[in-house]
Amino acid sequence: MHVYIYDSFLNHNKYHNLLAKIETRITDLGLNGKICRLGASKNYSATIQDEIKRGAKTIIAVGNDETINQVINAMNGSEIPLGIIPVGKNESLVATSLGIGRELLACDILSARRIEKLDLVLANDTLFLTEGKITTKGSIIEINQGYSIEILEGGEVSIINLPLSTVDLPTTGKFKPDDGLLEVFIKTKETANFLKKSVGQSVFTTKELTLDNKSYLLRVDNSIDIKTPIKIKSCPQSLNVIVGKNRTF
Amino acid sequence: MFNKDEKIKIKDAETIIGPSVKVKGEFNGQGDIIIEGIFEGTLKTANALYVGDKAKVKADIEAKDARVGGEIIGNLKLRGYLEIGPVAKIFGDIEATSLSVAQGAIINGDIKMSHEKQPAAKNGKADETNE
Repeated sequence: MHVYIYDSFLNHNKYHNLLAKIETRITDLGLNGKICRLGASKNYSATIQDEIKRGAKTIIAVGNDETINQVINAMNGSEIPLGIIPVGKNESLVATSLGIGRELLACDILSARRIEKLDLVLANDTLFLTEGKITTKGSIIEINQGYSIEILEGGEVSIINLPLSTVDLPTTGKFKPDDGLLEVFIKTKETANFLKKSVGQSVFTTKELTLDNKSYLLRVDNSIDIKTPIKIKSCPQSLNVIVGKNRTF
Repeated sequence: MFNKDEKIKIKDAETIIGPSVKVKGEFNGQGDIIIEGIFEGTLKTANALYVGDKAKVKADIEAKDARVGGEIIGNLKLRGYLEIGPVAKIFGDIEATSLSVAQGAIINGDIKMSHEKQPAAKNGKADETNE
């Protein structure tokens, strides 16, 4: 049975027509199943764990990047495939990196059922699939308790499993979400002189690291903020996810 | 970042230490490494090392091949070829099977050349120095 997890923000009237269209498309494709509408009182973990016990064949997150992250955490390493239907005001960067189009296009991707086994990342007690981002200001990174990284200029640190965007990434790195490794990508601000502009890029590959920052939080999956200090490690091959042809890996 | 005439080419670096980054500690890698910033500690890699012209390294280094452009304080032990650029400054002993030194480079230390032949230094036009 397919179990559709609707985020609580979809209870708003403005989404009723769109959800009706999605439900019609799902029925046309023969993918109909149970719909769980989460309200303020309903808890992701309890709802999803109940449905897994009842024999769910696929769990489908319907909502935005935060919904996807909450569903991944509630599934807690289950072998059951995760499907995604991105709905919401903003583009779901997580869905886009998996090659999943918005709304009705996502229903066709569910129907094709192209499943990939991907790594997840555990940051203290929170799982994430794509990237964690934090400012370089005040960030201290220690890799495998072997060496530490100090960043001397302003910029951004990304801890990458599945890149949300490949625009700024150096062509030399691997950035694969199924290799059991994390890439720490540091981009410092553009330095310019009268001849040329250059961006400082650093890349480190590791299985685990610790991150500390007294003032800023790590934002994972473009939605959830986590307080430091954080122990971060790769959890290889922990998520079966339905992806589209246009995925970035 | 790279010059056409350099014989050590790094296409798929596993680690890049950028110009505004300082790394301290023990680094053990398998892939190619590019250093454009600051490194302090010890550095070992099974593959090639590229030290940029503005990089500052205070470490004992073990690698397969290396191209040094910046400053290194520490010993360099290479199983293959070492290319030293025109603005390089090396304060430490060097061990390699093949070596080229550009005019202008500063080396303060002993140079030991082993007799093992490594494929990395093929077709080198540069000067070779034997102790």
